[in-house]
Amino acid sequence: MRGISAANRELIEDLNSEYISALNDFNMDNWLACFTQQGQYILTSEENIRRGLPIAFMLDDCYARLKDRVKQVMEIQGDSTEHYQMRHFTQLISATESETGVIQTNFNFSIYYTPRDTNQTETLCVGKYEDTIAIKDGEARFQKRVAIVDTNVLPRYVAYPV
Amino acid sequence: MSISKGANRAIKWPAKTNHVPKEVFEMESLWEKELEAIFYGEEWHPIVHRAEIPNPGDYKAAQLGEINIFAVHGDDGEIRVFQNTCTHRGTSLVTESSGNKKEFECPYHRWLFSLEGDLVGCPNSRDFSPDFDKKDFGLLALRVEEFYGLYFATMSDKTPPLKEYFGEKFYEPLQRLLGGDGRLNLIGYQKVTYDCNWKAYCDNDGYHGALLHKAFAMLNWQGGKGTQIVTKNGHLSFDSELTIPDHVDALEDGSILDFKGTETSNGSIVLMSFPITVYTKHLDMLNIRYSFPKGPKGVEVHYAYFSHEDDDDEMVKHRIRQSSNLLGPCGLISMEDASVFSRIDKGNKTQGNAIFQKGVKDEYAIPLEVGQTDETGNLARWERYRELMGFERSES
Repeated sequence: MRGISAANRELIEDLNSEYISALNDFNMDNWLACFTQQGQYILTSEENIRRGLPIAFMLDDCYARLKDRVKQVMEIQGDSTEHYQMRHFTQLISATESETGVIQTNFNFSIYYTPRDTNQTETLCVGKYEDTIAIKDGEARFQKRVAIVDTNVLPRYVAYPV
Repeated sequence: MSISKGANRAIKWPAKTNHVPKEVFEMESLWEKELEAIFYGEEWHPIVHRAEIPNPGDYKAAQLGEINIFAVHGDDGEIRVFQNTCTHRGTSLVTESSGNKKEFECPYHRWLFSLEGDLVGCPNSRDFSPDFDKKDFGLLALRVEEFYGLYFATMSDKTPPLKEYFGEKFYEPLQRLLGGDGRLNLIGYQKVTYDCNWKAYCDNDGYHGALLHKAFAMLNWQGGKGTQIVTKNGHLSFDSELTIPDHVDALEDGSILDFKGTETSNGSIVLMSFPITVYTKHLDMLNIRYSFPKGPKGVEVHYAYFSHEDDDDEMVKHRIRQSSNLLGPCGLISMEDASVFSRIDKGNKTQGNAIFQKGVKDEYAIPLEVGQTDETGNLARWERYRELMGFERSES
């Protein structure tokens, strides 16, 4: 493993910005576009990770599941879910590149949410992303993004990926 | 603080059994009385399954009402439940939600307790009061009974034995839900706080209004035939055959809805034990929802998921995928329930009664056998609540 080039660092920062913009803007197609065709997304708790427990809050372990996540958010949940605005704040903590060109990154995140009924802002969760990123043709995409929340007890139901 | 009689009198319980006054969800002064009459009364509360603390020294913290407790697996293989307090000056002994310890040492004066709750060490005891005897200072144990690995605790000596308390109509499906023989493995938790009074949670998590579930319709999965049985003391048991389509067009990956089944399966089981706990077995998901009211406002729910010891790797993986994506605070089929809790809570900040309709045949009776999708399964629980809280029903 070795550090990454400034150019690759820019690519992964751009990818992360696309990702959080997609969620903050509630654009699930753009969220899906952040993943490769082998992409995976997992949202789980620090407690489950620490104890080696495999249950997650969201477990999209193949591209078909990622597409179903988009469908769930955009079509299935519908009017039974109260919409809330998310705002992600992230910070790149580490990035390393393997000999095969796969990049591993860690970002810290804190995410606030503002429901439209109270219009008050509260913390949704705080944690870290553990990412596996592939760079191809000058573009970075997630092979895997694992969001691990320190907030082991979520403050509400979570309707969207984080 | 205990509730004043004034607060009790303030609620006029309607004559009709299908009417529940909305203020019962919102009047904060009821909580102290609920603790005394219900949570510290003659009820059994599920605390832990053996699969959650499988090894000697494993412990799990919990609450019963407002009392902090923990369950611990002793060196002798027994599981006990103690109040989380040193018997000297009251310091809490366990500060994490789970873990493993060889013994429990209080950091304040170094009193040391065994995994079985005995006081085994207390420095400087020659200076203690003349009658001091270590034997009198073991941890405060709660009365416990076990059912297929699931340990229930009660604060009262008068609570009937567990099987009598639940009745066969409840404990027989609970046995199937626990894999038939209770030989389970823990596969993880989902924990969340819902923004509603605890009674709004239990009024709606066990009972599933099918109309709410757009997901059910999209998946062409409309519940099915079955029964809903209510016990007189307010427990509820849904037992149904699910009709599951061979192919799910609505999803790219329909495999998360597969039903691989076992000989103990009977489609779908939803149980609710008074006062607040829901247990479910949908498809291949085995789930206990330990629930902790945060006073009169908010309820913390810990969804615990299990596999069976006899599962092969493929089955365990299937249970993990299915449980993670279908249930809990983000689940495809249960998020709609989650979202409705807080909306009900907001709606209860209005005047009048919450009114149950579907399945009501007699507005002055408490039905014990009701249709699978009827709302009336909640009425026995409300009647029990009303009686325990001492609210008088108005005359018709």
